[in-house]
Amino acid sequence: MIWLDEGFEFRPSHSQNTVENRSSRHEISGDSQVPIEVKLAKVSPTMESGQIVKWLVKVGDKVKEGDTIAEVQTDKAVMPVETFDDGIVARIDVLEGVDIPLGTRILVLAKKGEDPKQVAESYAGTGAAAPAAAQTAAPVQAAAVAVAPVASAEAASASGRVKSTPLARKVAESAGVDIASVPGSGPAGRIIRADVEAYASSASQPKSAPVPAKAAAPKPAPKLFVPLGEDERIPLDRMRQAIARGMIAAKTQAPEIHVTVDIRMDEIVRVRERLNKSLAAEGVKLSVGDFVTKAVAMSLRRHPAVNATFQGDNANLGQAVIVRHAAVNVGIAVALEGGLIVPVLRNADVYGLRDIRVESEKLYENARSGRLSVEQMTGGTFTISNLGMFGVKQFDAVLALPQVAILAVAAAEKRPIVVNDQLTVGTMMTVTLTADHRGVDGAAAAEFLRTLKSFLEEPTSMLL
Amino acid sequence: MPILAYRDALNQAMLEEMERDDNVYLMGEEVAEYNGAYKVSQGLWEKFGSRRVIDTPISEGGFSGIGIGSAMVGLRPIIEFMTFSFSLVAIDQILNNAANMRYMSGGQFSVPIVFRGSSGMAGCLAATHSHRLESIYAHFPGLTVVMPATAADAKGLLKSAIRSDDPVIFIEHENLYGEKGEVPEGDHLTPIGKANVVRAGSDVTMLTYSRSLITTLAAAEQLAGEGVSAEVIDLRTLRPLDMDTILASVLKTHRCVIIEENWPYCGIGAGVADRIYQQVFDELDAPIRRVTAKDAPIPYNRKLEASMLPTVERIVAKVNDVLYRKA
Repeated sequence: MIWLDEGFEFRPSHSQNTVENRSSRHEISGDSQVPIEVKLAKVSPTMESGQIVKWLVKVGDKVKEGDTIAEVQTDKAVMPVETFDDGIVARIDVLEGVDIPLGTRILVLAKKGEDPKQVAESYAGTGAAAPAAAQTAAPVQAAAVAVAPVASAEAASASGRVKSTPLARKVAESAGVDIASVPGSGPAGRIIRADVEAYASSASQPKSAPVPAKAAAPKPAPKLFVPLGEDERIPLDRMRQAIARGMIAAKTQAPEIHVTVDIRMDEIVRVRERLNKSLAAEGVKLSVGDFVTKAVAMSLRRHPAVNATFQGDNANLGQAVIVRHAAVNVGIAVALEGGLIVPVLRNADVYGLRDIRVESEKLYENARSGRLSVEQMTGGTFTISNLGMFGVKQFDAVLALPQVAILAVAAAEKRPIVVNDQLTVGTMMTVTLTADHRGVDGAAAAEFLRTLKSFLEEPTSMLL
Repeated sequence: MPILAYRDALNQAMLEEMERDDNVYLMGEEVAEYNGAYKVSQGLWEKFGSRRVIDTPISEGGFSGIGIGSAMVGLRPIIEFMTFSFSLVAIDQILNNAANMRYMSGGQFSVPIVFRGSSGMAGCLAATHSHRLESIYAHFPGLTVVMPATAADAKGLLKSAIRSDDPVIFIEHENLYGEKGEVPEGDHLTPIGKANVVRAGSDVTMLTYSRSLITTLAAAEQLAGEGVSAEVIDLRTLRPLDMDTILASVLKTHRCVIIEENWPYCGIGAGVADRIYQQVFDELDAPIRRVTAKDAPIPYNRKLEASMLPTVERIVAKVNDVLYRKA
């Protein structure tokens, strides 16, 4: 009844006083008086082809938006296919049971005012090839195929556009979820916040999906105009959950020991200054942290007990092993908004300082932009956590299991020190090794730190 | 707190302000000896006499212009339109002179005037006497537009309007005159430009004003029974709009429905929705929906007229829409 339609627009003339079609998304894409090609759309992230298991419509049937027209078998499941358009089925291009690639035309709909027979004739030819008749006429609309919300699918149209609410997109970005892989439950498959949250918390996410570097706590809502006064409740996004799980595991499974040592850094400061002068032309600038990375990697090479992982569980130590790794792969913790990530500098012991700088910069860059590869995020044999830039004097890091040790690096700062019974000023840095006592004893930890200290206090000794 | 009818609350506001400030006076058709077409000025002529409560001829353009001129030289007139539908013949005075005078005179003149009167679809008044003109007035910089929904706000907002140094369009709803509510005694001032969260909720924000508040609250009550927690906000002032309150709510609920008796196109909700979209687009989990009058002249027939109005059923349907709920 027209009176109940919010879109009703009053026209004074009797002849026009009817409800007109409200604008639909199809009008956006141009001429609406063109038959609609329905193509096989990607309904699962890994799908490359599909099979129409069963057609639910036949030529001549009237369909309207939201009708299920077929069932399609993907690599995952059999899913219903919906149409986004109203029309009359003019032509079915694909037989049941035949495997067809994505994007293949499966059906042509005649729109209101078009003769289905004529449309069918002009689209004669295979579904995969664009019919000549259509080419000479207006370009054919590619219509979307939607999959019912129950299915694991994307609300992407054939053109790749994903229908989602702004809030859903924002939440997806925060949670590091690819919006295109979220099944939408709203009208025409629109993805809403609840869909993203359900998807993010479901365990069915692909294992290969890396911890999203870009993930962050939900950005604070625009606050300028909002009065303060309410507590903020922030659900854990995937990154926070991963951090929490890791920390809980470390603190509940591994008996930790902490060994701290002060290291005089004056020599490193001098060497760094000299090297940076000669590297200035290349635009490379070494940080104190780069020297620490280098020295740590070389110390690990000499102390394989610390460059190790503990594999096994506490309830069954008979089966547990300590793996001393052949490669020295140093993880470097990088703080991100709302979390952290640990990209891995592989074979750090064989790199020179310049390469350490260049490679670290690449890793930081990728970490911050969320583009770390799996390779760059896995395989660490030891981790460095550096809070020196915050002026921290000393801190303890929590193990990144299964690694048996992690080094907490504080700031290099000028302190009064005693040299040859004389009080003097030295640049000092305090580092603390956290070690898993199941695999590493205090003496081994201390030996590692002694080597590290000697490398940093006497950098030329690294050449030996 | 005393319980007063909306009309008596308005009466009390004028009475108190006229007692407080000798520059305040009331002018309009039948406002004096007849006590007003809707009895809002009951007793005022008797109390203040013909110097301050003035009956006019049927000449809205004329007495609106006189009011504006007197406001420019220091008086604080209250101009009553028997209904705001009749303000249409005075609209040049209101839009060109009242709204622009401060600007056009480079600040030399202000126009502290209140135009007030009834409005809305009130039952068989037909197309020409059922106008809702708030979106027209709210369109114009220089005007303040106020629409109280409750007796307390009728008093508090009218007192604030009379004290405003700029022109205020104060639109009452004819069907609210008999609505009763608690009204604070004495100097009760409701701030202009401040919306009121009438009912707190977390699932959806419902923005409304004037008589639609009653229907909206009924819809919220029904939704509560279905497990939906709706926040109802009475806008009260349509210009300037209280975006702080609106956005705080939308940031909480992420969904919004706007209810008004205006026509849909260029209605108040269209402007409010635009401002929400401009500022917090990324916070919305559904398009903003509106419940409005139907886009047609207002019919005389009582049942057809009723079908023009937002109803509980129509409001609930739009809320279900933005919540992706199946009714």
